[in-house]
Amino acid sequence: MMRNDSNRWLERLLARHIYHKPAKFDFQRWSEKHPEESRLLESGFKDSGRSYENKTYHLLRCIMESKVTKYSGAAAATLALALVLLNPFGGSKHSGVLLADVQKKIAETDTMVFRGQKIFSCADEPNISFKFDVVKYMSKAYGHTEEGYLGDKQAYRITFNLPKKQTIIVLPMLQKYLIFPCTDEQIKIVERLNPAGVIDLLLQSEHKELGAGDINGVEVEGFEFQNVKSIENILPKFLFDIQQGKGVIWVGVKELMPIKMEGDMVIGKCFFTAFTELRLHEFCVLENYDVELGEELFSTAIPEGYTEIKLTDFISIKAGVAGAGIGAVTIGLVVGKKLRNRRTVWPAEAT
Amino acid sequence: MADVEDQILVQQALQGKPESFNELCRRYYPSLVAVADSILLDHHLAEDAAQEALAAACRGLKTLRRPESFGAWVGSVCRNVAKDMLRQLPRQREASDGHTKKESDCVDDEQSKILSEAIQQLPQHLREVVFLRFYNEMSYGQMSNVLGATQQSIDGRLRRAKKKIAAYLKRKGLRNQGIL
Repeated sequence: MMRNDSNRWLERLLARHIYHKPAKFDFQRWSEKHPEESRLLESGFKDSGRSYENKTYHLLRCIMESKVTKYSGAAAATLALALVLLNPFGGSKHSGVLLADVQKKIAETDTMVFRGQKIFSCADEPNISFKFDVVKYMSKAYGHTEEGYLGDKQAYRITFNLPKKQTIIVLPMLQKYLIFPCTDEQIKIVERLNPAGVIDLLLQSEHKELGAGDINGVEVEGFEFQNVKSIENILPKFLFDIQQGKGVIWVGVKELMPIKMEGDMVIGKCFFTAFTELRLHEFCVLENYDVELGEELFSTAIPEGYTEIKLTDFISIKAGVAGAGIGAVTIGLVVGKKLRNRRTVWPAEAT
Repeated sequence: MADVEDQILVQQALQGKPESFNELCRRYYPSLVAVADSILLDHHLAEDAAQEALAAACRGLKTLRRPESFGAWVGSVCRNVAKDMLRQLPRQREASDGHTKKESDCVDDEQSKILSEAIQQLPQHLREVVFLRFYNEMSYGQMSNVLGATQQSIDGRLRRAKKKIAAYLKRKGLRNQGIL
C-alpha cells in the first residue's frame, strides 16, 4: 500500500517534461547490426563459448565451473588483500593496456563486487586445507566487506566501515564477533580498498608485465607484483599476520578493469590462525561494478545473540587442521575440528 | 507470446527460437531506453545503449542463472553499458536538451531548464526511477521487473526523488502554483 504523497503535484510536470513515446524495438534492424548475436540465436547458442563482453560480468561462473580452476585456488582477500597484494598497475611500457586509463576508469567507479575463492592450507601439512567461496563488496562511501562461505552457509564476514572507523569480524556459524576501532594506519589502508584507492595503491609498487592472455574468451593482460607491505597491517599483527606474498592481476584489454586477481601469502602464527602458520592462495573475479550497495552491507552492528570472541574459544584448537583467511581462519579450524576431518575439507563436503 | 513468462522465453531462446528473444527485447526495450537515458540524458544515445545492452544480454544469456530475473539482469547490463558510454563521451552533459526542447510548449524555457537541473542533480538511482516512471508512464509492476526491487521500495525512491526535486524548485523560487 502506497502512502499519501505531498509532492504529487510534480507528477504532471515531470510527465510533461520527461515523457517519450515508448521506443519500439526493431528486431530486424537489430539483427543486421548484431550479426554475431543473431547467429547465436539462430544456432541455439551452440557456439557461444566465444562471447566476449558479458564475460566481464559472468566470468566468475565460467572460472568456478572450470575443473582447472576449481582446485587451483582462491581469491585475493579483501580487495585489500587481493588488489593490494596485486600491485601490478604502474607505468606500462609495452602493454596494450594503458594503466592510466585503468586507473581513471576505476577512479570513476563507486562500487565493485568480486567473487572468488580462498584456500588456506597448513604450512606443515599442505594437504590439509579449507576452501571458502568469497564475495567482496567495495564502496567508496562505506568501506569494504568480505563474506566467506562454506557451501551455502556463511562462515565469516569482515567489514571495514569507513565512516565509523570500525572493523567487525562476524562468525555466524559460531555466533561470535569481534569489533574494534581502526587505527589511523588501518584507516589509510581501508580507504585504499575502495575501487579508486586500490589502483592508486597498486601504482606505487613495482611489477612485472606478464603479457597478453585469454580468460574464457576475454582478452587480458597480466601484471605480477611481489610487494604486500602496503597491506601487511590491514589487521593488527596479533590477529592476522601477513608476512609475505605475491600476486597477479589480469586486466581486461577492452574493459580496462581488473578481470581476475590471484594472490599467495604466508600468514604467520596469530590469533586467527589458531597460532598455526598458514599458506593462503586466493583468486577473485570482477562480477559487477557501479551497482547499488546499501549501507547495511557495511554495518558494524553486532548481530543479535552473538557473543564476543575470546582467546579461549580457540586456544584448544590444535594446529594441524587447516584454517581460513581474515576472520575465517577460526571458523575453518572450528568447523574442521567439529567434522573431525583430518583431510582436505571442501565446502560441499562440509555441509 | 505476450503472456509467456520471461523464464520460458529465455529457455526457448536458448533452444534456438530467436522470436522468443525478440519478445524479450520488445518487452524490455522501452525500459532499457529509459534507464540508459537517465544516465546519458540523450534519447538517441540511450537507444544505442539499450540495443548494445540487448546484444550483451544475448551473448550472456547462457550464463543467466535465474531466467525469471531476466528483466532485472538486462537492466543491470544496460546500466553498465550506459555508464561505459558516458565515460567515453566528452563531458557535454549540460546540453541535455532532448528533454528541455520538448516541453517548451508547456512551460516556459526558464522553468524547463530549472526542472532539467532538478532532475540532473538527483542521485543516479533516484533519477532512474523518475525516468522509468514518467518516460513511458510505466507501472510500478513493470518498474519492479526491470529494477529487481519491490514496489514499496520503488515507491519510496520515487517519493525521495520528488521531494528532492520539489526542494530544488523551491530553492530556485518556483513553487507548485508558479509552475502549474
